[in-house]
Amino acid sequence: MVAVLEKYQMLSLAENVVKSALQKGAAEAEAYVYEGQATNVGIERGQITKTNTIIDRGLGVRATVNKAVGFAYTNIIEAQNAVEDTITGALSAARASKRDPDWKGLPRKKMYVAVDKVYDPAILELRSEGLVDIASSMIDAVVSVDKRVFPIEGGAGAAYLSNAIANSNGVSGFEKGTIMECSVATVAKEGNTVTPVCFEFNAGRDRNVDPEWVGKEAARLALNSLKTKRVKTETTKLILTQFALQDLLHFTLINAVKADSVQRKQSPFQDKIGEQVASETVTIHDDGLLPGGLRTWAFDGEGTPQQKTTLIEKGVLRNFLYDNYAAKKEGKESTGNASRAGYLSTPGIEATNFHITPGNKTPDQLLSDVDNGLIIYYLQGAHSSNPISGDFSIVATPAWKISKGEIKHATRGVMLAGNIFEVLKNVTATADNQRQMGQLIAPWILVENVKVIGK
Amino acid sequence: MEDVLANINDVAVQKFGAEYSEARAQKLYKTMLTLKEGRVEAAKQGIENGVALRVLVDGAWGFASVGSFDAEVLMNAVSGACRMAKNAGLRLKTPIKLAEAKTVEDHVQIKPRKTPSSVLMEDKISTALEVNKAALGYDKRVKGCTIDYLDLTGANYFANSEGTRIEQDKLYVWSRITATASSQGLFTFSREEIGSTAGYEVFDSAPEAIGEKAAKRAVQQLGAKTPKGGKSPVVLGPNVVGVFVHEAFGHLAEADLALAGGVLQNNLGKKIGSDLVTFYDDGTIEGAFGSFKYDDEGVPTQKTLLIKDGVVAGLMHNRETAQKFNVESTGNARAENFRVEPIIRMRNTFMAPRDHSFEELVEGVSSGYYFKSFRGGQANLDGTFQVGIQEAYEIVNGEVGEPVRDASISGSTMETLFKVDAVGKDFELWPGRCGKGQTAFICDGGPHIRVKEVIVGGSA
Repeated sequence: MVAVLEKYQMLSLAENVVKSALQKGAAEAEAYVYEGQATNVGIERGQITKTNTIIDRGLGVRATVNKAVGFAYTNIIEAQNAVEDTITGALSAARASKRDPDWKGLPRKKMYVAVDKVYDPAILELRSEGLVDIASSMIDAVVSVDKRVFPIEGGAGAAYLSNAIANSNGVSGFEKGTIMECSVATVAKEGNTVTPVCFEFNAGRDRNVDPEWVGKEAARLALNSLKTKRVKTETTKLILTQFALQDLLHFTLINAVKADSVQRKQSPFQDKIGEQVASETVTIHDDGLLPGGLRTWAFDGEGTPQQKTTLIEKGVLRNFLYDNYAAKKEGKESTGNASRAGYLSTPGIEATNFHITPGNKTPDQLLSDVDNGLIIYYLQGAHSSNPISGDFSIVATPAWKISKGEIKHATRGVMLAGNIFEVLKNVTATADNQRQMGQLIAPWILVENVKVIGK
Repeated sequence: MEDVLANINDVAVQKFGAEYSEARAQKLYKTMLTLKEGRVEAAKQGIENGVALRVLVDGAWGFASVGSFDAEVLMNAVSGACRMAKNAGLRLKTPIKLAEAKTVEDHVQIKPRKTPSSVLMEDKISTALEVNKAALGYDKRVKGCTIDYLDLTGANYFANSEGTRIEQDKLYVWSRITATASSQGLFTFSREEIGSTAGYEVFDSAPEAIGEKAAKRAVQQLGAKTPKGGKSPVVLGPNVVGVFVHEAFGHLAEADLALAGGVLQNNLGKKIGSDLVTFYDDGTIEGAFGSFKYDDEGVPTQKTLLIKDGVVAGLMHNRETAQKFNVESTGNARAENFRVEPIIRMRNTFMAPRDHSFEELVEGVSSGYYFKSFRGGQANLDGTFQVGIQEAYEIVNGEVGEPVRDASISGSTMETLFKVDAVGKDFELWPGRCGKGQTAFICDGGPHIRVKEVIVGGSA
């Protein structure tokens, strides 16, 4: 990686932009400075065929004029005139926009707590050779499991991210972090049979990824989905692995706990604080400070400290996720859930590390609770769920039949139909095997009474 | 600008031993709006400059993206990309080669009737507010309306080490309107999308109509029943046919995915559907959301025949996959922007119409469904697909009946293509955005069709 921008460079840019915006007539101003550097090595069709590096730096400016909000961004931050044009752009956008009577101002300054295990300097020193080694050992691990398995794509990547934020209320912060990941997608082929794509990965904030485990596990899943049998249409038990949960929850439950969804009457959790919305087995926190979490940062996209927020406690709905705007609308404080897509966007409410509390059972013990059911890995079509009602009607590719506590055989094209909020009420157990996938950190969970439409 | 890029390519080839080098520079201008129930969340605008460099060294790709036109930054980037490609290539068994492509020198200018940059932000906001008013005013059960708007204009410069030099204007306008309705604890939602490469003039025709359309569908679903799960005959509207062509077949016909083990790899020239099935991917349709003149490898776009009368006629290629199949690139290499490398993407993908009227299609179904508009779709390399439906009706005794909500269809693509038993004479093309690691603007569509049997996902 090339030399990264220093803390003082990014902070002074942010602070100067705020000053300049106020001088140019903004009632309030906020500047967000971002740097991302990433190096990746890519696998295609069984071999390492490509590498890429990206250096992406930019500035996003929010300015308000008469309670109307404007935003402008640029990635030309070394040129003073481009920075000035961006400030002017934010102001002219605010002037063109409409007054928002609910706008109660930008966040105020609050203390940040230090977060653990989010930055590993070894990742910055990792050169492409190191990533080539990781990708190679992943490919070797896949092929070592069985000749019928083929690593179709994947790779290894290392990234450095930093951001600085300043606003006209005195907020001022800088932080940096690293992310390392490796992943591989596999299919197994035998005769004319091609399995669905299976996938495994490792991702974390430090350099310790386990490419051999990733390769072997991705190969094992593909191999085990070669031989399939049909299952019948019935209402049955499911074990949802993290892959399935991530797909199912992203478009439904996570939307439902965002305060703006609730305020806009687009959440089934409206007026349900204090009520039982899930089985007693379900406890969920949004934990923006989780040590080593993929979405762990000291402050969010508008400079508010991240925190641990209890959303569902033993099935009872306790709180929602807030940014500053949604919080102020209710006279509350932000939960530090304003998220940005780099410098290109204004902040919006998003979960940080959405943590479903694990249980005490090992995965095997969870399986042994299932006399008849399915274990679900990958889903197809979860994004076609009804995000508001939570109704879903999706395909599991593949799923495995569980009989008398044991995984018996794969099945393909099985449709699952139901409602995610009903699913939450039917969770009867959680395993102890939590892992993080994107914003979700969860164990396997056992659900009863889901309709499975066989083929 | 092209001279700077050509110079970089020379350095890659002469100094670092690249077999091939290409450089792509972009200056992009964006305007974005998000309105929620008429509240302008923020009026947004931005400028981005950047260069993407891609080199082929010893049979492996090196790619670097920088947000700068500075000569020194670019020289560092190209040297780094060449070094990394060399490292990556050390264990290559099959080095990458590229199919031949004609060298091109061209300057493609877009002349829209209304360029989005000439329309004031105030006017864009007013138009969005009209759409919002029409949606929320349609019925008191309509509770929410989200409007996203984007326009993107700019210049794209391309040069490669073979002598191709292209300057190409970029222009996209896009909007998505989502309406939500609720009544007695039931929530429904509905989405409409507009997208064009022609100009801002797409918003000239009655913006309120599109707001009303989204609202009407959301309200209609409040009174809809849920479908019965299981096998059923269906009539699919152009919007659903489009997403089926795109998701269930189109991705399998992307040569990179075919090579990755997709089911089409060994089916070229083979019959995989009924005689009525003819599919194209066409980048030449004027103003369509997936159209452009040259792709991001400098190859001219074209109308590519994918299936003719049920027989697989071809795949979508870039220069790398074209070489493997011993054909020419079909001009499907697209990169979302300078941050990412070009990969094989669809353009405007559709089914060709035949001769049935809508009434004739429906008449043939004694008990089934009419699926008019989709909510989302996804496919797997093994040839299975799922498409969610946002507007559906029962068909009872050959007539369209009551509305149905939250349905989906799934099945095996090839089995389903054989079950297409009648194809309509109408035709519609719908804009959309496709995700494959990067976002691409596309269209898909076709006529109404009838399918003898698909799996309909019911509700619990």
